[in-house]
Amino acid sequence: MSANIPLIEARNLVKQFGDKPAVKDVSFQVFGGEIFGFLGPNGAGKTTTIKMIVGLLQPTSGSIRVAGYDVQTQPLLSKSSSGYVPDTPNLYAKLTGRELLGFVADLYDLDRKQVARRIDELLRMFDLTEAADDTLDSYSHGMQQKASLAAALIHDPRVLVLDEPTVGLDPKSARLIKDILRQIADRGAAVMLSTHILEIAERMCDRIGIINKGQLVAVGTMDELRALGKTGEASLEDIFLGLTGGAEVAEIAEILK
Amino acid sequence: MNMTLPVSSGVSAAVLKLLRLRLLLTYNSFRHAKTRTRVLTVLAMAGLLVFAGVIFWLSWLLLGFLRSPDLAVYVGGDVILFLQAVPALIFTIMFLSILLTSFAVLLQALYLSGDMDFLLAAPVPIRAVFITKLLQAVLPGFGISLLFGLPVLFGLGASVGYNLLYYPLVLVTMVALTLAAAGLSSLLVMLVVRIFPARRIAEVLGFFGAIFSMLCSQTGNFSNSLRHGSDPSGNQIAGLLALVTRFNSPWIPLNWAGRGLVELGQGNWMTGLLLVVLTLGMASAAFWFTLVTAERWYYTGWAGMQAITNKKKVAGPARAVVAGTSPLSGLFEHLLPAPIRGIVRRDFLILTRDLRHMSQLVTPLIFGLLYTFMFLRGGGQPPAGRGEAPTWFMESFSSLLAYGNVGMSLFVGWMLLGQLSGNAISREGKNYWVLKASPLRPEHLLFAKFIVSYLPALLMGWFFLTGISILQHISIVGYFYGLLAVAMCLAGMNGILLGLGALTANFDWEDPRKINSGGMGCLGSILAGLFLPLGFGLFIAPLWVVTFLQLPLAYGYLVGLVLGPGLTGLAAWLPLKIAAGKVGRLGES
Repeated sequence: MSANIPLIEARNLVKQFGDKPAVKDVSFQVFGGEIFGFLGPNGAGKTTTIKMIVGLLQPTSGSIRVAGYDVQTQPLLSKSSSGYVPDTPNLYAKLTGRELLGFVADLYDLDRKQVARRIDELLRMFDLTEAADDTLDSYSHGMQQKASLAAALIHDPRVLVLDEPTVGLDPKSARLIKDILRQIADRGAAVMLSTHILEIAERMCDRIGIINKGQLVAVGTMDELRALGKTGEASLEDIFLGLTGGAEVAEIAEILK
Repeated sequence: MNMTLPVSSGVSAAVLKLLRLRLLLTYNSFRHAKTRTRVLTVLAMAGLLVFAGVIFWLSWLLLGFLRSPDLAVYVGGDVILFLQAVPALIFTIMFLSILLTSFAVLLQALYLSGDMDFLLAAPVPIRAVFITKLLQAVLPGFGISLLFGLPVLFGLGASVGYNLLYYPLVLVTMVALTLAAAGLSSLLVMLVVRIFPARRIAEVLGFFGAIFSMLCSQTGNFSNSLRHGSDPSGNQIAGLLALVTRFNSPWIPLNWAGRGLVELGQGNWMTGLLLVVLTLGMASAAFWFTLVTAERWYYTGWAGMQAITNKKKVAGPARAVVAGTSPLSGLFEHLLPAPIRGIVRRDFLILTRDLRHMSQLVTPLIFGLLYTFMFLRGGGQPPAGRGEAPTWFMESFSSLLAYGNVGMSLFVGWMLLGQLSGNAISREGKNYWVLKASPLRPEHLLFAKFIVSYLPALLMGWFFLTGISILQHISIVGYFYGLLAVAMCLAGMNGILLGLGALTANFDWEDPRKINSGGMGCLGSILAGLFLPLGFGLFIAPLWVVTFLQLPLAYGYLVGLVLGPGLTGLAAWLPLKIAAGKVGRLGES
């Protein structure tokens, strides 16, 4: 896989919920080998965009290609190439961690001889071996999040999409996930993640897209985003607040000090 | 800016504040409910008041009637002693039922509702939080006691002519015993949660609660079938009265309240007051002790720690994945694609592990056994009636009942499909994203769900068919024909229920017993109900017709084998074909 091949390609993406526009004409690309951070305030349209990319929501208009396949017209091929971790890990409470991974492997029709080894590998990687045969309702939020990520990686996807992957994780688990995402990207996959934690985005992501009120207001590397700022030395927080209209909130906070 | 918030002055003020909050929540739910729900609620409340009035009036009349000397002669026992035992009986039933019913409510309120931390962190005394939780827990049980017990006790007082002090003290005693029962129940909850996880206990309670209520609802039918219309004799009534009278022993502390109130009502002040005050004192002490103990157990964290934890199992390599080495599972693997196998295996695991699902599955089995027993006890013959029906009708009815084995099996299968099939897609709930984000074909999903609902219904239907056929000495040809009829009719019904249920699948639910498959699911239930007699008829009617025309039975089988599978096969396939085109867009609203 080469870094200049777009593995996620959104073109003029629009999503309306009734009269309410959630995503307005969003276009961007995520290339193989890169981690793309997707930032935006609450209700900006991050989760809606992500759900359209992984085929959970039908766009009102526009198109998305994942690993070269059109999500609308070739949904099975595009889904075979992608893995998804939602913001809330709703998993089957009465399945064990190992059974969950086995089930997801069946959904992706993986070779059964290799599945057992792959499951053990993932359980070890996410430090879930000891809890592998406990049902998921006994897992903590962090463990469920890790199980969810393990399930998304079972088929070694070329595209990985994560919605707030580090929420509720302890520092060790958060670090583990960050390291794993870097490894996945280094192997040539495209990783797209949404986050509220700007420090994570700044340190982890190769490029960042900022969405506000359904519109993509900026896309680029940190340097390219800084160039948008007046001083050129701005932090991601300053850039984010400047682009999403949060600067006045920061000023009020300063006055209250 | 620094503001000091007023801390509530005392426990009672805080309790009132919390109760006001609870009242506000209830009022808001009522206010924001649909108009139909609001009207029904108001009507239900009015109906309950009328019901309580009727019970009071009936008690007055009936308990007055029990004092009649003629009745005493008829039953041969002392009816007055029975009347004196009624309050003790009611208080005991009330205490025990509140002890049990508030267990489930308190489990929810203390461990599962999720608002305890919020309330305990607020500037209100911890005792107020516990009192509010206890009051909240006893409310349903106390309401039922007021509805059923209070009118009977007041009716007794009115019919026997007890003095006025009897009436307020009945109410005070009920309140005291209710609070004591709730307090004990709270300790019981904490002790049980020390051993088992709260969520598991809730599931077990839900399972046994559903089975128990279903058994209660069928007790009348069952006892009627056993009794064959005989009326209770004077001896039976006398036996019942003697049993209740014997129960009113002075050595049982729970009887003191009832005995004391009767003594007070009759003007025996000394004994009456002593017993009532003793009861009230003991109930208050029990309430106080349990409240303080529950508070301490909860606050110190003792009630939240599990004393017994499961030993960690040593994780074996890939046990769940290398499933099935038997020839049957080997065949299963070769015949079905991996996604279908995965969904079938997962659904069966979840259905058998989640007791809330299990209660729904056990219900048809119990119903089936009950109705099969009643059917076989009736000898498979139509009721004789008053002999006014024409002979041809009775003969036809009788020959139709000869296929009761198939009918009963379809009835059981229909009940099971009703639980499994219409909600099959909705049962995915909030986990549906796992399927939707995966490369799963809609046809595979529907086929897997078809298998999951069809196999248990088919096996249960065949189980009943085999049992009844053996007991009714059905011919071997008739038995195999019945197997096919049951298999095809259930397949058709499954297709209708699953296909239409999938069209409006609803994934927004928390409790699997409250899954709603939407408008089309409801239509599916109606259509499946209409289809069942039609499918059954196409298999059975040709046999009935050839019997009526005195032709060889083989002709009937041949015609049935053409008509039956044709329609049932179409019913199994067509709704799924229609649903397959829509399933891809489910869960996007």
